[in-house]
Amino acid sequence: MTSGVTNVSVAQVPPGTSLFRARGTSSDIEARPITAVLPLPVRLNSAAPRRYYLYLMAPAIAVLAFISLYPFVWLIVMSLQDVGVGAGEWVGLKNYTRLFNDVRFLEGWVLLAQYSAMCLALQLSIGLLLAVIVNGARWEKFLVTALLMPMMMAPAVAGLVWLFLYNGTFGWYHWLFQSLGWLDSGSILSSTDTAMLAIVLVDVWQWTPLITLIALAGLKRVPQDQLEANMVDGASPLRNFFAITLPNLYPVLLIAIMLRFMDNFRFIDAALVLTGGGPADSTKILPIYLFEVAFKFFKLGRGAAIALTLLVVTIILGKLLVRIFEKPKSERV
Amino acid sequence: MASRDVVQYKSPLVVAFKIFSVIFLTVYLIWTLLPIFVMFVSSFKDLLEAFNIPEVGDWAGVTVFFDFTPTLKHYHSLFYDNNFGEYMANSLIAAGGSAVIAVTFGSMAAYSLSRVEFRGKGDLFFWIISTRMAPVVAVMVPLYAIFRSFDLIGTLPGLILAYTTFNLPFAIWILKGFFDNVPYSIEEAQMVDGATRFQAFMSILPLVAPGIAAFIVLCILFAWNDFLFAAIIGSGGAKTLPVATRELVQPQNIQWGAIMAAGVVTTLPMMLLGLVIRKYLVTGMTMGAVKE
Repeated sequence: MTSGVTNVSVAQVPPGTSLFRARGTSSDIEARPITAVLPLPVRLNSAAPRRYYLYLMAPAIAVLAFISLYPFVWLIVMSLQDVGVGAGEWVGLKNYTRLFNDVRFLEGWVLLAQYSAMCLALQLSIGLLLAVIVNGARWEKFLVTALLMPMMMAPAVAGLVWLFLYNGTFGWYHWLFQSLGWLDSGSILSSTDTAMLAIVLVDVWQWTPLITLIALAGLKRVPQDQLEANMVDGASPLRNFFAITLPNLYPVLLIAIMLRFMDNFRFIDAALVLTGGGPADSTKILPIYLFEVAFKFFKLGRGAAIALTLLVVTIILGKLLVRIFEKPKSERV
Repeated sequence: MASRDVVQYKSPLVVAFKIFSVIFLTVYLIWTLLPIFVMFVSSFKDLLEAFNIPEVGDWAGVTVFFDFTPTLKHYHSLFYDNNFGEYMANSLIAAGGSAVIAVTFGSMAAYSLSRVEFRGKGDLFFWIISTRMAPVVAVMVPLYAIFRSFDLIGTLPGLILAYTTFNLPFAIWILKGFFDNVPYSIEEAQMVDGATRFQAFMSILPLVAPGIAAFIVLCILFAWNDFLFAAIIGSGGAKTLPVATRELVQPQNIQWGAIMAAGVVTTLPMMLLGLVIRKYLVTGMTMGAVKE
């Protein structure tokens, strides 16, 4: 595609022959009969755009390569080494084989699964209920604004505020739980039975609004005519909800679930501040354990092996998520 | 709704749900706003007053919460004894710097990704998005080793670069959605009129400007609220607000008043910014998957 002949011969070039193709030009033209192809300015289909777009992309790709690709290679190399504060030495697969005998590593996965499941179940049910209640309410705008306030708070700060509220001598929530008879004595954070619940509650407090916001956006797109038609046929509001509203919400809720699931892997700020994995490792979900191994004991090699397992799981989850994202626009909400 | 006349609308179930929803909403609003409220109020309390709580089961005693003389001494101690001014500047530079880098490079990349097709584009995309979704602790392990060898630990440039690991992929991913919505024919028309490709790109920027501005703010929010990167990569020279707040917790002496004041200083600007970009919040927080 170099000379001026290109003007007319565009249609004969099958897509994919050139590495780059300007969007909205050749593919549209191909659909039309050749006779309808009008001569275009040469510049549009010359080789220039390809290079031009590459130049525009280059800085971002270069930065990303340095802070994402290069570290990833490093991570693999490190996982095969015994790296501490100084330079590493090769140890082969020892870091990995040790993981299978590491109780806290395996336990960390179990706790992470429990933690995520509890957070999700609570957030999803409360968030959905809230969205249904708030949707179309008189003060909707105000209510939603009030609800999303916790999301703006730094998770570490949220953790500290809740540490204050949970405190066994002067915490208001401690007082509340005791007054309601839910807690005997001792702080909610100091018992192995309740510590996990405590950090789940903080996550629920901070991120339920996100589910509500997502569900609310979905609710606005539920076809009203279907609801009305169903009502005319005598369906109860409850039946309407399960027959029409919920199926329509399904795609957005799926996105919400995936996002929250991955964020539970991503963020440990609040949990780190609140319990740091204790008491007696009862809240040591895998990312916290990894944090400890890598940045408290500075066993970076072992940390790298753990990080790699965590990354693999996240990438699989991400692949699933992207598949949902990339559905055709018409199916998407 | 027209169907209201046709169908029996106020069944006992509906009435019960209405009552339930009012109660539920009230309880939830209290539960969601109470921690923020307690943080604000406690930051103006003297330490002894902040520790004042009623006896267990004494519901009428709740009023002791409002029983205090407001003081600004915690804020004073933050800025005069604790260098919070400097930490705030660090937060601002780190968050702002990474946001500007992310959105500048991101919009260029997003634009070209939106306008061009090539083999492996899907894979490139997946790489970009998985960078954003990788667990922070996992990313930090190799990043720490690399930054150590470049002497970037404890410096603001290091922290800016660290924040870019999540902000740049975010910006590319989100802004591509924006550029996808701008028809190519606008640029084509510009180019037919003799504009160069770069001029054509510049000519559509005003169309996406509000979105770009909103996502600069969102990038700042993500970076400002980060704790892990700042605690490890920024440890030493580049202390940010969340880390500084966390450091007020010392084993023997937890300065609760100062912590609450620091919490307010950290949270308040972000809450205000959040209100400003309210319209883009859902799109931003769901990586563009859900539009409001």
